[in-house]
Amino acid sequence: MSGAGEIRIALPRGELRAELATRLRAAGFGVPGYGEGSRSYRFEVEGRPRVRVRVFSEADIPIQVALGHYDLGITGRAHIDELLVRYPHDSAVPLKALDIGESRLVLAGAAGSSLKRLADEGVLRVATELPNLASRFLARARVPDYRLIEVWANAEAWPPEDADAAVVASERAHSEGLAELATLHRGSAWLLGNREALTGRDLAEALAPLLALPAGDGAAAGPSDPLPLALRPGLRRSPATLPERETLRVAVPDGHAQRHTVAALAAAGIAFKGYEEDRAVRYPESAMEGVSVKVMRPQDMPRAVALGLFDLALTGRDWLAVYAAMFPASPVVELCDLRRSAYRLGAVVPESLPAESIEQAIAYWRRDRPARVIRIASEYAALADQYARDRHLGRYRVIPIAGASEGFVPEDAEILLEGTETGTTLRANRLRMIDVVMESTNCAIGHRRPPPGRRGELRSELVRRLADAASGRR
Amino acid sequence: MTPNGGESGRATEAGAAAEMLRSRGMRELGPEEMRRFRRVERIFLEVTAERGHREIRTPTLEPLHLFTAAGTLSPQLLERVYSFLDWDGWSGERVVLRPDGTVPAARWLLEQGDLPPAGDGDPAVRLSYVEPVYRFVPGDGDREQWQAGVEIFGLGAPEGDGDLLELGAALLRALGLAPRVELAHAGILRSALRAAALDSRQQLAAYDRVLDGDGEITEELAAAHPAAATALRLLLEVTGEGTGYVANLRAALLPVLPDSEPALAELAAAAAVLDREGIPYRVLPATARNFEYYTGLTFRALAGEAECLAGGRYDGLTEALGGPAVPASGFGADLLRLADLAPAVSAAGGGSGR
Repeated sequence: MSGAGEIRIALPRGELRAELATRLRAAGFGVPGYGEGSRSYRFEVEGRPRVRVRVFSEADIPIQVALGHYDLGITGRAHIDELLVRYPHDSAVPLKALDIGESRLVLAGAAGSSLKRLADEGVLRVATELPNLASRFLARARVPDYRLIEVWANAEAWPPEDADAAVVASERAHSEGLAELATLHRGSAWLLGNREALTGRDLAEALAPLLALPAGDGAAAGPSDPLPLALRPGLRRSPATLPERETLRVAVPDGHAQRHTVAALAAAGIAFKGYEEDRAVRYPESAMEGVSVKVMRPQDMPRAVALGLFDLALTGRDWLAVYAAMFPASPVVELCDLRRSAYRLGAVVPESLPAESIEQAIAYWRRDRPARVIRIASEYAALADQYARDRHLGRYRVIPIAGASEGFVPEDAEILLEGTETGTTLRANRLRMIDVVMESTNCAIGHRRPPPGRRGELRSELVRRLADAASGRR
Repeated sequence: MTPNGGESGRATEAGAAAEMLRSRGMRELGPEEMRRFRRVERIFLEVTAERGHREIRTPTLEPLHLFTAAGTLSPQLLERVYSFLDWDGWSGERVVLRPDGTVPAARWLLEQGDLPPAGDGDPAVRLSYVEPVYRFVPGDGDREQWQAGVEIFGLGAPEGDGDLLELGAALLRALGLAPRVELAHAGILRSALRAAALDSRQQLAAYDRVLDGDGEITEELAAAHPAAATALRLLLEVTGEGTGYVANLRAALLPVLPDSEPALAELAAAAAVLDREGIPYRVLPATARNFEYYTGLTFRALAGEAECLAGGRYDGLTEALGGPAVPASGFGADLLRLADLAPAVSAAGGGSGR
């Protein structure tokens, strides 16, 4: 909750951070520590004691401002519109375009393809991190049948073989060798405000310097309205659930899990050229005949396996659990535990909370108000929902978040459902895990039904080698 | 203040607390509303059954692509449906809480295989349904509505249009309502917009402006197609009443928009039906929002200022769902609104509604 007279500002982490910090300083709104990428999530503003800054992932800022948790915020316009096209409440007000973070989102596909041809030929599969903007565009283009593959990140990794198109920034499309099929959205970073705060509270101490930040070029910002496509009538044939192919397709992760996966593969005597501890290309090469490899986000692997796009994927058991909570009938199973990258996933609360168990914590929060809503913030929204049901939280609300999670408690949520390897980050933020939900390691996953013929043999062989290495028998 | 004011106060407090537990916009019917609901539903089913309509009921959850493919909902309406990923929706195939009854009825028809003959040489399949439909509306409006709808598959214009208007008239009479009707034909405006050389997006935008009563659109279209200026003014600026206006429209439009001839003939036929039924009507350039969906006559019936039913012709629907081309038309009504509008006792509806 805001202190009396306090002005709360939500600023982005990530790509905007360094440039924004420079401009804030120049505008007389210095936020010491913000631009240096400090692991802290809360900052003060030089010479402005009433103003508090909290750092969020860009995607989380519009909803925080719309809910009134923060009075003002700065984030990419695409994230603001992703909220407003689906939930057109007027509480989040875009105020001013800034001269940083200019981006054009495009629908990108294989070179030589066109949106009309793809939509005419069959069900259009679109990978996207921004499903609301994507579905708005596709509805307005009158695409008769489409499937949105809602990915956590790196949508550009999906086309052309795993999706027909992806919603990505134009420069990412080009760097991935994809062609632009249509422009979906334009915009830079924007200052936005909460309507109620703007109309009823004195925010001038923060608003005046933020409004003085250099303005964008004035080009129209927002979602594009495409021309309706003239397409043949009729439903499209759904994509095959288990496509035929000759090669065994293997997905390996980038990011945090990459180092552990390279080690697990090496222990099993497997090496993919171009997939090393400190570097990865999109398509590493396998020395094993009949095996093709692709690098993608581990979060998105269970879905890719369920869709039949990959025969084997190396991901985390936490992501498999998240996926199973969303789609319990999905045909994806764990094939073997790689026993690496171990960490605990559980309910995190402030260190100072006078409770030793989640039951005591619930009783404490509801000691005066029995009907109080308990808020659980998590990147693992489906697991948070499951957790709330399993622990009989009663009236609860899941707040899906995109990151910078340790900053959510205690102000913006009672519980954070979060993973921790060593507990260092939690301790640094004066948090502790009060209830462990699962112990996660990385694992190999596959379709419940093994692929036919040689592909099936190859999958069994790889899984056997990985399992042997993991159990130390090799 | 009631004699037992204290208790009443507690009841109000309890009521307010209970209201917080109900999803916003979802409709709840108490015993008295349920009684009125059942009465109107019975009249609706009796009147439609007398004219050969057979009742169906379709699932609450439908695949979203059924509606995107059919084009029944404008993009703006598609953005307001309740859609989500089902428990087995990992392919990205979303489901939707049924936002409208027509598409599921057409889907049902196609799943039966060939159009079943209705007997007596009438090739039409006549269906009726009473189902809840779900669409998001901002604020405190009803997001759950009970749609009473009829469909006539297999009967083209003008016969099918005539049947539909007669059925609507009979239903409203049975409910004790004396409506007036607003009538339009999508083909006439489409012909005018084509003649003004507008591309598909401009046509959509112009259609919406006509519906929104934007007066400037007439002169813009007239400037784009000067030869049709007078006819366009008559169509867009003059709200006509009676067969005289329809004849005037025909005389003005045919020389400059010759391809509007079939549409004008269908409009005249529909006007003649309403004349026979003794129902007052006005002819407008457009009555329904979804330009791409309606292919022919569109209409809405009003009691006072309240719309009691609305519908039209959508001959492209079954093809859009992957089936053969089948002429199709129908109308829908918000059953609870009909219950609010209908007098408590009507001649045909019976006294107590039991």
